[in-house]
Amino acid sequence: MSARKQKLINKPEAIVDEMLAGFCAAYHDIVRLERERLVVRAEPKAPGKVGLVMGGGSGHEPAMLGWVGEGLLDVNVVGEVFSAPGPGPIIEGIRAADRGAGVLLCVSHHEGDRLNAELALEFCEMEGIENVDMVILYDDISSAPKGSESERRGTAGLFFVWKMLGAYCEGAVDLAAAKALAEKARDNTRSLAMSLSSCASPVSGEVMFEMAEGEMEIGMGLHGEVGRGRQKALSADDTIDLMLPQILDDLPFHAGDEALVLLNNSGSLTLMELFILYRRVEKMLREADIKVHKSWIGAYATTLETAGFAISLCRVDDQLKDLWDAPANGAYMKQV
Amino acid sequence: MTTIAPAQLADMIGSIARRILSERDRLNRLDAALGDGDHGTSVSAAFAAAATDIAELKQPSAGDIWLATAKAVMNRMGGASGAIFGTFFLKGAGHLRGIERVGKSDMEAVLQAGLQGVKARGKAEVGDKTMVDALEPAVTAFCGADEFAGAWTRATEAAREGAESTRELVARRGRAKYLSERAIGHVDPGASSIAVIFEAVDDWWGANPTPSTLQFEEAEH
Repeated sequence: MSARKQKLINKPEAIVDEMLAGFCAAYHDIVRLERERLVVRAEPKAPGKVGLVMGGGSGHEPAMLGWVGEGLLDVNVVGEVFSAPGPGPIIEGIRAADRGAGVLLCVSHHEGDRLNAELALEFCEMEGIENVDMVILYDDISSAPKGSESERRGTAGLFFVWKMLGAYCEGAVDLAAAKALAEKARDNTRSLAMSLSSCASPVSGEVMFEMAEGEMEIGMGLHGEVGRGRQKALSADDTIDLMLPQILDDLPFHAGDEALVLLNNSGSLTLMELFILYRRVEKMLREADIKVHKSWIGAYATTLETAGFAISLCRVDDQLKDLWDAPANGAYMKQV
Repeated sequence: MTTIAPAQLADMIGSIARRILSERDRLNRLDAALGDGDHGTSVSAAFAAAATDIAELKQPSAGDIWLATAKAVMNRMGGASGAIFGTFFLKGAGHLRGIERVGKSDMEAVLQAGLQGVKARGKAEVGDKTMVDALEPAVTAFCGADEFAGAWTRATEAAREGAESTRELVARRGRAKYLSERAIGHVDPGASSIAVIFEAVDDWWGANPTPSTLQFEEAEH
C-alpha cells in the first residue's frame, strides 16, 4: 500500500493554521482559537481548578484538538506536522489554562515534546510563573522493554489519560493530586500499533518511510517510528492473535480485571476492518476473563493517512471507571 | 575586521537565513530519508523568523540578537531539533551579556557554550548521527585558528566533513534512531544544516560587511 502523495490542501506552509481555523469554526460552541496556535475551551473552567495543557505536533487529528472541552483538556498547544511546539507557545498555553490552582503540562513522550516542555518550565521559573508541573505520558510497549516503561513513547492510549485526568480536574483537587492521577491512569495503560502503509508529509510531499506491498510492521510509532520489525502481512485474526497477548502480558492484565478498550484507526483503515479486528479482540478478552467496561473504535490519534491501527487497553478500578464515565464535551469525546 | 558589531551580527543571521532558504529543498530531501522530510522547511522558517524579529529590535546588543535567534528557532522550528538548535543560541546568548563588540575569543566562548548546551540538551556525542557530528569539529577548528578570517573557513571544512561522516552511522539519538541500520547511507539533516550555517558565515565574512554598508540603524561605538 503506497502513501497518498496528493493532498487536498492550499499552501503547505498554511496547513496548520487553516486546519485550526476550520476546526474552531466548526466547533465554536466548544473551543476557540487564541494567539494563533492555542485551542482553548470556549467556556473556561471555574477559577480554583487545576488547568490542563497538552502540547503536541499536528498530523494526529482529531488528537488532541478533539479533547479540549468541559471535563477534558483546557488548552491544546498545536505544533507543526509531527513536530512539538516550542517553549514560547507552551508558556502562552500555560498562562491561558491558569485558573489560580496551578497548571499541569501533559507531555506525550517523544524527545521533541519532552525537551520543549522542559524548556518551557525553565522559562516559567525565570519569568516567575509558579505552580506549574509536567507529567510525561507513555503507553507504547514496543518502544522500550518492560522495566524501562519511562522510556516508552506516548501513543493512542493517552486517550484514556486525557479523559480521566480531565474529569478529575473538574473537581476540587490540587496540582500534586492531578499529577498522581495522570500517572495512575498512565501506569494502567498499554498500547501496541501495527501498520500496513506509510504516509506522506503534507509539507514536503515526501513519503515518510518506505513500506513494501504485502508487508506489515508491528509496533510502529505515531510518526512511523520503527517498532518490532517488518514481516509478511497477516489476516485480521492472526494480527490480533499476535498483538493482543503482548499487551496482556506486559502490564500484565489478569483474569477478573476490568479494562477500557480502544481500537484506534491510524488513518485509512475502514471501519469494516476495525469491526472485524474488534470481534477477535473481544473474543480473546472474554476467553481471558477480562471484562470490557467500555470500548471505543475509530480514528482518534492518527498518523496522517497511514493504514494501520493500535490496540490500547486501560485497566480500571472504581475510581478510574467513575472518571471515565463522568461527563465530557469535546469535539471528538462526548460523554453524557 | 577584528570584532563584530551588533549590526554586523544581525546581518550575519540574515545571511544564514538566505543561505538556508536556498538549501531548503536539499535539506528536506535528506530528512525524508530519516524523518518527516520537512527539516529544510522548518529550519529556513526559523532563521527567517529570527531575521525578522531581530530587525524589530531597537538598538539591540549582541546578546539580544543571539537571544532573539534562540527564541525564534525554538518557537518557529519546534520539535526536538528546534529545542536543541535553539539551545545553541540560548547558551551563547548568556556569554554575550555585556559584550558590545564580539572578538574572536568571545565568539569561541559563545560557540563552546552553545556546543555544550546542545550536547547536554540532546544527550548526544560525536558518532550519534546528530548535528553534534558537524558542530563539535567545527567549534574545535574555529577555536584552533588565531583569527576570525581563517577560523570560519576551517570551521566550515570541519563541519562539512563532520556532516558527511554521519552517512555511515546508525543513529543513537533523535527520531532516526528508530530506523536503526536503515539510517545507514543517509547524511543527518541536522548535521548538514550546521555545515550550511558555517558556509553562510564564512561567505558572509569573506564579503567583509562593514557597519557602514549595513542598513541597521546603530550608533557607532
